[in-house]
Amino acid sequence: MIAQISPPELDFLPVAPELVLAGGGMAIMLAEAALPRVTSRVLLIASLLIVAGAAGITVALWGWDGEPTVLAGMVATDRFAVLIRGVLLAVAAIGAVYGHHQFDRAGERRPEFFPLLLFATTGMTLIAAASDLILTFLALEILSLSLYVLAGFSRRVTASEASMKYFLLGAFSSAFFLYGVALAYGATGTTSIGGIARALSGPSEGLPLAMVAAALLAVGFSFKVAAVPFHMWTPDVYQGAPTAVVGFMSAATKVAAFAALIRVFNVAFLPLSWDWTPIVGVLAAVTMVVGSLLAIAQTDVKRMLAYSSIAHAGFILTGVMAANQEGIASATFYLVAYALMIVGAFGVVLLVSGDERTSLSSYAGLAVRSPLLAALLSLFLLSLAGIPPTAGFMAKVSVFRAAVDAGHTWVVIVAVLASVVAAFFYLRVIVLVYMKEPEEELQPDRSPLPALTVAVPAVATLVLGVFPGLVFGLLETASIFRW
Amino acid sequence: MSSQEIVFVVLGIVGLGAAVRLVTARNVVHAALYLVVSLAMVGGTYLVLAAEFVAFVQVLIYVGAIVVLLLFSLMLTRAPIGREALDNQQRGISALVALGILAGLAFLIQDAFRDARIEPDATPTGAVGVSIFQNFVLPFELVSVLLLAALIGAVVLARKDLP
Amino acid sequence: MIRLPLVLFFSAGLFSVGVYGVLARRNAVLVLMSIELMLNAVNVNLVAFSQLLRDTILAGQVFALFVITVAAAEVGIGLAIVILIYRNRETINIDEVNLLKW
Repeated sequence: MIAQISPPELDFLPVAPELVLAGGGMAIMLAEAALPRVTSRVLLIASLLIVAGAAGITVALWGWDGEPTVLAGMVATDRFAVLIRGVLLAVAAIGAVYGHHQFDRAGERRPEFFPLLLFATTGMTLIAAASDLILTFLALEILSLSLYVLAGFSRRVTASEASMKYFLLGAFSSAFFLYGVALAYGATGTTSIGGIARALSGPSEGLPLAMVAAALLAVGFSFKVAAVPFHMWTPDVYQGAPTAVVGFMSAATKVAAFAALIRVFNVAFLPLSWDWTPIVGVLAAVTMVVGSLLAIAQTDVKRMLAYSSIAHAGFILTGVMAANQEGIASATFYLVAYALMIVGAFGVVLLVSGDERTSLSSYAGLAVRSPLLAALLSLFLLSLAGIPPTAGFMAKVSVFRAAVDAGHTWVVIVAVLASVVAAFFYLRVIVLVYMKEPEEELQPDRSPLPALTVAVPAVATLVLGVFPGLVFGLLETASIFRW
Repeated sequence: MSSQEIVFVVLGIVGLGAAVRLVTARNVVHAALYLVVSLAMVGGTYLVLAAEFVAFVQVLIYVGAIVVLLLFSLMLTRAPIGREALDNQQRGISALVALGILAGLAFLIQDAFRDARIEPDATPTGAVGVSIFQNFVLPFELVSVLLLAALIGAVVLARKDLP
Repeated sequence: MIRLPLVLFFSAGLFSVGVYGVLARRNAVLVLMSIELMLNAVNVNLVAFSQLLRDTILAGQVFALFVITVAAAEVGIGLAIVILIYRNRETINIDEVNLLKW
C-alpha cells in the first residue's frame, strides 16, 4: 500500500509568493529569538524586503501561461489572483511601517508583530488564489488566527476585549462557513470550486441543497467583510485594536475575503446566479443603509471609519450582484480604491491620535496644528464619500454602472441615497478639521517615515481618480476566472 | 433497522443528550465532562461509518488534547456556578433561533436525501495518507503554517508583558 | 447499511445545540465549547458524505482531519485570549466585558 504513492505533479511556482511570505515570517521569528539585540527597525526592513520579494514573483506570475490550476487543482493561476495579491502585498508593506511606528513610539517591544503580519498576509494572498474550498477555509483561518492575536497587541484592556470579541464571533462564523462547505460537498461530490460549477451546471437534483450551501458560505464571508447583519464586531474591534493593526486589517481582510467571495459566487455558484443575486442585492442594500446611518451617530473617529467600512462592503456587494465580467471588474476596482483610502485614513488617525485618544472632537482645528495631515485626511474622507476627482468616485460610478447594466436599478437607487447620507458625516469631519478652533492640546506626530507612507495611498487615490484606466486596463484580463 | 443503525441511533441519542446537557449545565466542569461524552460519541459514529482513522484522531486530538486545554482555561479562570451566572438573558430567543435552524436543516435533509443509504466500506488508514500526500499537499503544508501562527500568537498573548 | 438522513439529523441536532450554546451562554469558555459542537457537526457531515459518495480522493475525511487540527489551533488561541482577559478584568463573562459595547 505504502509503496503505491506516486509522486504527484507539484508545481510550486504559482504559490511562490506565499512560500516567500511564510518562510520569511519564520526566518524573522528565528532571527528575533537568536539575536536578542536586533531592533524593530531591522525587522521592519527585513519584512519589507520579504514583501517586496513576494511582490516581484507576483508580477512575474502575471505572464503565467501554464495550467489554469496547479497543485491538484488547489490554486488558481489566473490574473485575478495576481492583481489581488499585488494589492494585498502593498497594504501589508504599509501595515508593517505603521506597526513599527506605533509600537516604537509607545516604547513597546513587539517583535512578533512582523511574523504574524507576514503569516496573515500569506493567508490573505492564498485565499485570493484558492480554487478549492478546503484551501479557502484554511487560508481564511490563517488570516483570522493571526488577526485575532494582532488585535490584542496592546497593553490596553480594550484591545484584549476586542481580540476576544473578534475571536468568538469569528470562530462562530467559521462554523457556518464549514457547514456550507460540507453541504456543497454533499450536493456536488467535490470541494473544488470549478468542480462545483461543473456539477451545478448540468441537470442537478441537489439544487435546494446547493442554495443553502451558498447561503451558509455567504454568512461566513459576510462576517469577514463586515456586511449587515454580521457586522456587530466591526466597530468594537476597530476601536479597541491598535490603530496600526486596524489600518492593515480593515483594508486587507476586506480585499481578501471579497476576492474569495467573488471567486466562489462567480465560478462555483454562477449556475445559480438567478437565485442568489436578489439575496445579495438585499444584503448590499441593508448594509449600505445601516452602515451609513449608524456612522452619523458616532463620536469616535475609529468607530466612524468602522461604520464607513461596513457601508463600503455594501457598495462592493452591489458590484458583485451584477454576476458578470463587468460586475467582477467594477467590484475589483472598488476593492483597490477602498484599500487605498481606508489604509490611508487609518494612517492619518495613527499620526494624529498616536495615544489612542480618538474622539472626533479632538480633531477640531487639526488644520491649524498640521495642515499636511488635515489635507491628507480630507482627501481620504472625500474619496470615501465618493466625491470627484478621487478613486472613490470612479469606484462608485463603475459599480453603479455594472449593477444598472445587469438590471438591478433599485439597488443603485438605494446606493445613491446611502451615498448622500454618507457624504454628510464625512463632510462634517472636514468642517470640524478646518472651521473649528483647536480646543485642547492636540499634538500630531511629525515623524517623516509614516507621513511619507501615508502619502503613497494619497497619491494613488488621486491618480486612480483621474486616470482610472490604469487599473481598468489590467482588469480586462484580470476579471476572467480560469478554472 | 440494521444492527449498524441501532448502534448509530444509540450513540447519537447519548451524544445529543450530552450536548444538550453541555449547553444547559450550571457547573462549568460538568459542562466540560458532558463535552467529553458528546465528542466520544461522535468518535463512535465515525467508527460505525467505517472511517477509523478519523475516529482515532477524534479521540486523540479532541478528547485528549482539546478538552484538556478547555479544562485548563476553566481552572485558570474562576467561573461562578449557577444558571444566572453562566447564561445571559437571551435563552428564549436563542432557543427559537436554534430550533429554526434545526427545522430548516431537517426539512432540507428530508427533501434531498430521503432515500440515500450508506454502505460503509472500511477506509484503510493508508488510503487517507496516500490521498493527503497526493491531492492535499498544499493544504497539509498550510496547516503547519496555521499551527505555527497559533503557537506564536498564544505565547505572545498569554505572556506577561516584559518590563 | 445506514440511512443517510439518520446521520444528517444527528449532525443537524449537534449544530443547532451548538448555536443555542453560543447565543445563550455568557462564559467565554462555554461559548467556545458550543462552537466545538458545531465543528463536530460539520465533521459528521463530511465523513458521512465521503462514505456516501465513495469519494476516491477521500476529500471529506481529509477535510475532517484538517478541521480537527484547526479546531485545536483555535482553542489554543482561545485559551490565551481568555487568560489575557481574566488577568485584566477578573471575569470572562462576555457581557461583563463591556468597556466596548457588545
